[in-house]
Amino acid sequence: MWMQLTPARGLRRSALPGRLPAAAGAIALALALAPAGAARAGGEVTVRGAYYKERATRVAQPMLDARFDVGDSGELSAHTLIDSISSASVAAGAAGEPFDENRYELGATYLHRIDRFRFGGGARGSVEPDYESVFVHLRGEAELASRNTVLSLALAGGRDSISNAGAQSDITQPIEGTLYTAMGSLSLSQILSPLLVGQVTYDLIRLDGFQENPYRSVAAGGMLEPERVPETRLRHAVLGALRAFVPVTRSTLVGSYRFYADDWGVIGHTPEVRLVQELTADVDLHLRYRLHLQGAADFYQEIYDTADPAIEPWLTDDVKLSELTTHTLGVKLDLGLSRLGAAGALGAARVGGLFEYIFQSTYYGNAISAQLAVTVPFDY
Amino acid sequence: MSPRRHRLPAAIAAAAVAAALAGGCARVKPYEREHLARRSMTADRAPGEARFEQHARGSREGADGGTGEAGGGCGCN
Repeated sequence: MWMQLTPARGLRRSALPGRLPAAAGAIALALALAPAGAARAGGEVTVRGAYYKERATRVAQPMLDARFDVGDSGELSAHTLIDSISSASVAAGAAGEPFDENRYELGATYLHRIDRFRFGGGARGSVEPDYESVFVHLRGEAELASRNTVLSLALAGGRDSISNAGAQSDITQPIEGTLYTAMGSLSLSQILSPLLVGQVTYDLIRLDGFQENPYRSVAAGGMLEPERVPETRLRHAVLGALRAFVPVTRSTLVGSYRFYADDWGVIGHTPEVRLVQELTADVDLHLRYRLHLQGAADFYQEIYDTADPAIEPWLTDDVKLSELTTHTLGVKLDLGLSRLGAAGALGAARVGGLFEYIFQSTYYGNAISAQLAVTVPFDY
Repeated sequence: MSPRRHRLPAAIAAAAVAAALAGGCARVKPYEREHLARRSMTADRAPGEARFEQHARGSREGADGGTGEAGGGCGCN
């Protein structure tokens, strides 16, 4: 599991993709629908390396994103990535061993335009030794009011299979579970002036099924008990954002605020500000600050007096569900390769480097995150 | 969760939608959209960049969403 920071209880098995994600089918279907002899089309490919490190966990994630025009009205985007995780956490107090684990992900989305409407769908699959996940989604967009307004609706459903198969030793009993996810998202983007765009998004997510960490044990009544949490979780998130351009300084200012609430009692406030400064015509400097304030779930405790289900139906010491504060400072430089002397097709390519420092109030400690990406446009 | 907690996100959503719709009355003509077409005004985050950030945050924070994309897929939800 990705960055769970829970004891592995032994060396983990190597991971190999167990099945071909459905996304491959979506890619083949979209390409098959492309009209033969279509007009010259374009697209772009991005090769990205991402890195995350904190005290006990390190993640390296190479990924490939591609976007293709399909005929005159279609657009296909696809991605694939590998999560390579190394962790040496003893988070829950047991004798955790260092472990390495790979997660493989593949996804694709096809969108088709008819007049003022775009609609389509896609799929995403992910495989690791103790977790398999498949998501499908449908999306529709309508451009209204002379393209001043864009209304979007997205529906998604997922099925995750969870087990403790990643541990080789100290397993007293195998644990398996299934988690179903359903999401509805409504988004409205509005041009407010020639220099200002507003957006509001509401996401409603329902989780139903196994939501425990099969490796996590909780101190309760002087014993270590398996984590237990409710089978269902209803999550609400509202995001409002404003994006403004200042011609005098050639600066773009982005401000956003997200409010989150769920029926486990977690409340979150997440304001974020970003500045994109055009240094030259093809060099942008990005500066970011994000604050995340979160309250604890109603049933979260570090230690429980008893494990009696009649008194404590739920047991979790998962710090994700605790009261926490996160500050993220980021800087990114984005420039055209022509600036570095590249010519021809590569002259239109862009390279971007991002560095973030993350102050975390939890025992995870502070973290750094970095990304380096090269985007190459192409015609075909 | 108390009823008061439920009312707050609904109120924020309603206010934001109302503000956006109110702004829609002042239509911006296509020839006035030069600055809106800038790279920084259309998106300042690439899909892969946003995906990694959402994934990392989903494994460290109990709050998620607001992106129009379902998180999870790795036990981090």
